[in-house]
Amino acid sequence: MNIFNNAALLIGVPLLFAFSIPLFGLISKELAKWVTLLTIGFNATFSLYILLTHKFPTIVVMGNWLPPFGENLYIGPVAALLVSLISVIGLLIAIYNLWAVKRGDVIRFSILFLMFTAGASGIVLTGDIFNLFIFMEITGISSYALAAFGPERRALGGAFKFLVVSSIGSTLYLMGVTLIYTQLGTLNIAEIAARINQTTPGLLTFAGILIISGLAVEAELFPFNGWVPDTYTGAINGVSASLSGIAAVSAVYALFRIAMTVFGKSGTYVTTYGKIDLMAVIAILAATTVVIGELSALSQKNVKKMLAYSSMAQMGLIAVAFSIGSELGVYGGIFQLVNHSIAKAMLFLIVGVLVAAGVGENIDDFRGLWKRNPFLALTFSVGAFSMLGFPLFGGFWSKFSIVAASVQRGGWYDFIIGLVLFASVVEAFYYLRIVAYMFSSDVEAPKIKTPMIPAIPIFILAVSIVAIGVFPQIVGNFSTQAANEFTHKMSEYVLNVIPTIAAH
Amino acid sequence: MMQVFLQNWIYLIGAISLFGIGLYITLTDENIFKIIVGLNIIESGTNLFMIAIAWHPKAVMPIYTATNHLVVNGKVVSADPLPQSLVLTAIVIGLGTTALALTIAVKIFEKYGTLDVRKIKEAKR
Repeated sequence: MNIFNNAALLIGVPLLFAFSIPLFGLISKELAKWVTLLTIGFNATFSLYILLTHKFPTIVVMGNWLPPFGENLYIGPVAALLVSLISVIGLLIAIYNLWAVKRGDVIRFSILFLMFTAGASGIVLTGDIFNLFIFMEITGISSYALAAFGPERRALGGAFKFLVVSSIGSTLYLMGVTLIYTQLGTLNIAEIAARINQTTPGLLTFAGILIISGLAVEAELFPFNGWVPDTYTGAINGVSASLSGIAAVSAVYALFRIAMTVFGKSGTYVTTYGKIDLMAVIAILAATTVVIGELSALSQKNVKKMLAYSSMAQMGLIAVAFSIGSELGVYGGIFQLVNHSIAKAMLFLIVGVLVAAGVGENIDDFRGLWKRNPFLALTFSVGAFSMLGFPLFGGFWSKFSIVAASVQRGGWYDFIIGLVLFASVVEAFYYLRIVAYMFSSDVEAPKIKTPMIPAIPIFILAVSIVAIGVFPQIVGNFSTQAANEFTHKMSEYVLNVIPTIAAH
Repeated sequence: MMQVFLQNWIYLIGAISLFGIGLYITLTDENIFKIIVGLNIIESGTNLFMIAIAWHPKAVMPIYTATNHLVVNGKVVSADPLPQSLVLTAIVIGLGTTALALTIAVKIFEKYGTLDVRKIKEAKR
């Protein structure tokens, strides 16, 4: 058990600066913007330091109360990788926001964005099942407000829908946590994970269904994802980018931390305790999500709505990869999560730049973009190729390993092979349609100037997609370690937090 | 442990029915204000549920004094204080959500001139 208490700064610093932004705002609005950027920059630097110098596995102990008695944060390979992903994507979106959030309430936007990042990092870091709920609500409440931000009135409807569905989801989660508490009398994830087989199977399954329904709302899985298209379309593009690049990451993490570490039964393939195997339930929900999301994306004329449905489908694909339960499957899932959050954030930012330049949101408006602005056309194509899993782009390696994992597992999981191929074909159809529009049509329209500030994050994201595609080991090494943590819960999670606990 | 908290069956049934009533209102009602009320009822149901599992009719207060014994004949007879503190947190979170929901509702009324979900949908077209 290593203790590295400074890691609590990853949550503390953004929260501190979130609430002191109004003070900076008294001096000038520009200062408030730059403080936001510097705070998230600190988070990105510090989390990359933890990731690259291999400080993990380590725990943060609050007030010297060792777990299971006190609340703790756990930084394993998964948390280190995902918190770096969240804060780096957050930093790039913050750079974009310097340019995008000009009018209106810069100060309130900065407060919400910092709270959003702090909450998402908290979900990934926490080692306490009730604190997970609190961080979910911090992320949730700030993202409802962010989604309602902006001049357009359609944002309000999307935000309200999101609020209602997500509040019901978190209430269900809380009920599930309470049921587990009645059985074990603890809220520490590591202790629950070690003693989960002492519970009544029926009650455990009921609690599991409640918790998974609650978390599936933010993870955009099928029956609970009705909010996705409206919210993503209504929100301003920086917010849509952070919803799909940051919030979705933490939601998928929370879902599988509960399903695999808390409920999981270790074996060659992770299954869960209780009357039914929750991993199979998630697999079915996620597969339905993929089919529905891809087919709905195919029929959209509005690019933002198409990206929203595509985001839903990708989250389904990630969840299906995790639910295979083998090391290779989780590896593919985490790899796909990284690829998705980089590519989708970039696509939303590009749409944001185009909309600000007066290009519409419809597919037809993208005609001849190559002649009007080669940079945006090229980066959009890079993102599209990565989404559909074209070789030499990031998405190829993750989809490849998802297929390999389902071949390895065999049995009824073979349907995942077909599912991934189906998803790739449909994605190829609707993404390549836009790419073809951009490159082939010769429409006479004035050129678009690329603004300098948003070009920086878009360029960095595009370069990283190609870099991951050419050198997959950049992410691959970390996702191998992360997959190891998810599939070996006792040795990689529980014993790192509470070394003295007896294995079941 | 199971039997202890099932002694509160009346509160548990109440909590679950509050949850059901709230869910029904939220899913079926067309007025945004009533949807928010429904959300609040769901939250109350959850809070009642959490309090009910931590207490049973013969429970004593969870503070150790000379006359107040928490453990009698090897059985814990005190109420569990932890869920009550969790409920405090949940109430505060519920307040925040409600406040934000009402703010959005006010904004929706300003922009659309109605709180009826159907009319808002028509206005979008």
